[in-house]
Amino acid sequence: MSDSGQVRLLASISVELIDIIQEYPSPSGGVTRVVDGISLAFSKPGINMLLGPSGCGKSTILQMMGGVRPINAKTPTSGKVMINGIECNDAHDDSVMVFQRYANRPDLSVYDNVAFPFRLNLWKKKVPEAEWHKRVAEMLEETGLKDKKDLSPAQLSGGQNQRVALARALVLRPRILLMDEPFGALDAQTREEMQRLLISLYNEHPCLIVFVTHDVTEALMLGDRVIVLSSQPAKVSDDFTITAMRPRSADWQRSDEARQLEKRILTSLHTAPGRGVVRVTI
Amino acid sequence: MNNFWNPYLQPDDRQRRIIGAASVLALLVFWSILAVTGIVSPARLPAPWDVLKAMAYLSWHEGESLLLTATLWSLGRLLVAGFLVVAIGIPAGIVMGASPRVNAAVSPLVDPFRSAPVVALLPILVMWLGVGEEMKIAFLFIGAVVYLIPMVRDAIQAVPQNYWISARDLGATQWECIIRAVIPMAMPRITDAVIVAFSVMWTYITVAEYVNAKSGLGQLIQNARRFSAWDQVFAGIFIIMALALLTYQLMTAIKRKLYPWETQL
Repeated sequence: MSDSGQVRLLASISVELIDIIQEYPSPSGGVTRVVDGISLAFSKPGINMLLGPSGCGKSTILQMMGGVRPINAKTPTSGKVMINGIECNDAHDDSVMVFQRYANRPDLSVYDNVAFPFRLNLWKKKVPEAEWHKRVAEMLEETGLKDKKDLSPAQLSGGQNQRVALARALVLRPRILLMDEPFGALDAQTREEMQRLLISLYNEHPCLIVFVTHDVTEALMLGDRVIVLSSQPAKVSDDFTITAMRPRSADWQRSDEARQLEKRILTSLHTAPGRGVVRVTI
Repeated sequence: MNNFWNPYLQPDDRQRRIIGAASVLALLVFWSILAVTGIVSPARLPAPWDVLKAMAYLSWHEGESLLLTATLWSLGRLLVAGFLVVAIGIPAGIVMGASPRVNAAVSPLVDPFRSAPVVALLPILVMWLGVGEEMKIAFLFIGAVVYLIPMVRDAIQAVPQNYWISARDLGATQWECIIRAVIPMAMPRITDAVIVAFSVMWTYITVAEYVNAKSGLGQLIQNARRFSAWDQVFAGIFIIMALALLTYQLMTAIKRKLYPWETQL
């Protein structure tokens, strides 16, 4: 893909959620509404944080934007998801998901894990072999896995495994990168390291990132835009942009701007009724 | 006797081997005592050394080895039946495991046979296929495949869903998810199923070879029994046990070599 081609494609991303409602049959016999009338639009590359308490339906919303929907129910119950103007009902070629529980294959080496998508007919047809070899090598380099490429995932730490997952997602040059609490299982130090890595990868390969988290600090450190969701059912309770340059320093984190934003998020979460938990790292 | 009732602390290899050897030795001593004192008559229980002598006799007597010939016959049947079990049972189990609808249709036809008296099927197989090799192979095949198919199906279903979801998300078709993600992840347990199938076939081989006994270890035992050569009967049984154990050890070693990642999970 040429550089000009990439720019043209990036300019044309648009993801629109129109009045999304999601209901599941509840064990007591009625229906439980987990997502209640969410409308959101994303139209340019950027890191968009979906922040909400655990179990508020964030992942469900993320899956609707081009992920696999593993539930045996109609998703969404009503409303529409449009990707570049086309209604999206299932996994989408333009989007890749990175999961919290990294889905690295224990039977494949790091290299083969990253190259895995190119064993599939879809990408075999789309990307010539020389091109994908180049991309895999490049991603291994950028994620710092170059000298680990022959190891198996069991020999890697949690952070390194998540690097493999990121590399595998980005070799496809997705226009939409969906991240479902990707760093949620990592320790604080590794999490910060991964956040810095994500920023540098984003600068190299700008795309539309929708990043689900329940970590207020993570939302502030990464987001161009932060969308705060209330829980049970999920509704948008706040939506704002942050213009501070990334990577944001610890000094920025202590600045008035950051403190006010943090207060704003916590207030909007507290006024909205909910049972989930959010995390603030100090 | 520290940690005697602690199932999570294994004794080291040397200690385990010593304990194992000691209990085998104890059985041999007990058996020898029974034989020497005449508590059980030699006509009912041959002495251990008589069994050894019988083994030597079967291994080499007057320029031929009855044991080798019989073993080769049995092994040949086992391999032919084993090939069919693998070639038919594994794809069947995979398809059942991968598609709940196929499983719903086929499992009522397959699962009950796991508890069916397979030996009782023998007369029917004789009626259908005669007393030749086809019947013997078919008997071994049925005996083993009814274990293999459900085990392969369960191996497929035991693969965590996240591998399927992840492959699907990356653009795999549902069938590609099965081929590229689920089956590779199920291979260690599928191999376990093959190992069990071969163990089952070793236990059935004698039954298959009792009918129209002309060759094989089952025939060797049957023949010895007819002449009340109990030392040879015992020898034959031990040989089959040894061969089954050898098969098991060999296949387990191959499995460890093929799927080293399984133990790292």
